[in-house]
Amino acid sequence: MSYRIAIGPYHPALEEPYKLDLVCDGEVVRDAQLRIGFNFRAVERLAEQRNFVAVIALMERVCGICSNVHTMSVCQALEQIAELEVPPRARYIRVIVAELERLHSHVLWAGIAGKLIGFKTMFMACFSLRERVMDVLEAISGNRVNYSMNRVGGVNRDIADPQAVLRAVEEVEREVARSIIPVFTGSRSALSRCVGVGVLDEARARSLAVVGPTARASGLPQDIRKAAPYAAYQELEFQVPVESSGDVKARLVVRALEILESCKILRQALAKLPAGDWRGPTEEVEMPAGTGLSRLEGPRGEVLYSVTTDGENDTPRRVHVRTPTFANMPAVRVMLRGAQLADAPIIQASVDPCYSCTDR
Amino acid sequence: MTDIATIPAEMGADGAWEERRGSRWLEPEVLDVRRMAQVMREKKARFVTMTALLVEGEKEPRLSYHWDLDGSLLTVVTRTEEKHIPSIYGICEAADWIEREIHEQYAVVFDDHPYEPLLLRAGDAPGVNLPEEDE
Repeated sequence: MSYRIAIGPYHPALEEPYKLDLVCDGEVVRDAQLRIGFNFRAVERLAEQRNFVAVIALMERVCGICSNVHTMSVCQALEQIAELEVPPRARYIRVIVAELERLHSHVLWAGIAGKLIGFKTMFMACFSLRERVMDVLEAISGNRVNYSMNRVGGVNRDIADPQAVLRAVEEVEREVARSIIPVFTGSRSALSRCVGVGVLDEARARSLAVVGPTARASGLPQDIRKAAPYAAYQELEFQVPVESSGDVKARLVVRALEILESCKILRQALAKLPAGDWRGPTEEVEMPAGTGLSRLEGPRGEVLYSVTTDGENDTPRRVHVRTPTFANMPAVRVMLRGAQLADAPIIQASVDPCYSCTDR
Repeated sequence: MTDIATIPAEMGADGAWEERRGSRWLEPEVLDVRRMAQVMREKKARFVTMTALLVEGEKEPRLSYHWDLDGSLLTVVTRTEEKHIPSIYGICEAADWIEREIHEQYAVVFDDHPYEPLLLRAGDAPGVNLPEEDE
């Protein structure tokens, strides 16, 4: 006889409020339903009431982890509409902040994964490492969460001491290679909770149109930084890690390898950081009528912003955000079917869900 | 690589792609969205999302269907009829959540979509993004 277990919306197994309704036979999950919307703030509607400066600050608050992705996306969309070229130094600074954000997001996720598989030492190690990245972001921007780095046509702050950033990046890289990767790829305790768990095969990943590390762990080599490069990514060398097994372990490995790739990108960007202007236009930017479509590869995958202006008002006519978790979360239902109940927390966490983003 | 230029004809849509700010747009007079979804599926295009837009002076919302084909962003624009449009969910399962979201934000009905609440709680009326006079 099947029975139902409701997890959430507020539960220790969940990082953020949402609800999983599981239908189980004994210890086996037969089906799952997801309920979201507990963080719904009508941000898209609010964006229609903010001017072209205030809307950047508003969109930064869509997410408390990948806040920079949102300001960069909305700025890129507005730059498309205004046909603005971003100065080379600003394009590199955007890459540096975006990759630092990916680093701290992936390290945070590794810590959460460690906690959920009962490896609390790993949780502490990851969060300690993440602090180092947060310190660097604070040194660059003056803030640990909402960096306010992006403006239409450029960035708000320069990176005055690239060598200090480089030292921190090298420290993170060493520690990831020394502890995180060996544990998640070699520890029998960790692997026993991850191998063959929560599988999403390539065909289903394609059908569900999942993005980011979730897609790449199911054999889909998609990455907007390569497929449709923005900022300065076309001038930098990096690999896109892809795994084919589609399980929790694959999602762990992809993110761990992406940390190293981010470090590689950061080293190049810091070394090549061009001299010159980084602010962009100093006068108010005229915003004609039009629609800008901006896509970025956030830590959780592709983010799309569709911004429409009417050329008359100083507010956007429409701002639509498609976040990566919005694309990835329906796949959790597929991953959970047939899984052990005890694996449900790590399976749902393995897509690195962000409900602040998803609900907006 | 797929020949993107032939896609409008395969969809039975008039017009051709227009390059705008780094992506391709198609705004046919008439569009069978289910046929579009079928063609995109055959081409192995990835469904990205849909955007609903209210345009001043127009009664029906515009719906933009965004697809990724080999890294190119393709957008096909159409309008609802009396706030109704066929659901593509049966062809493209990735459209499930966004059809539900647009229903809740703009009160658009996606015909044949098995509706479950997404963002709104029981008792809330769809149309949270509509201007007050339309709610």
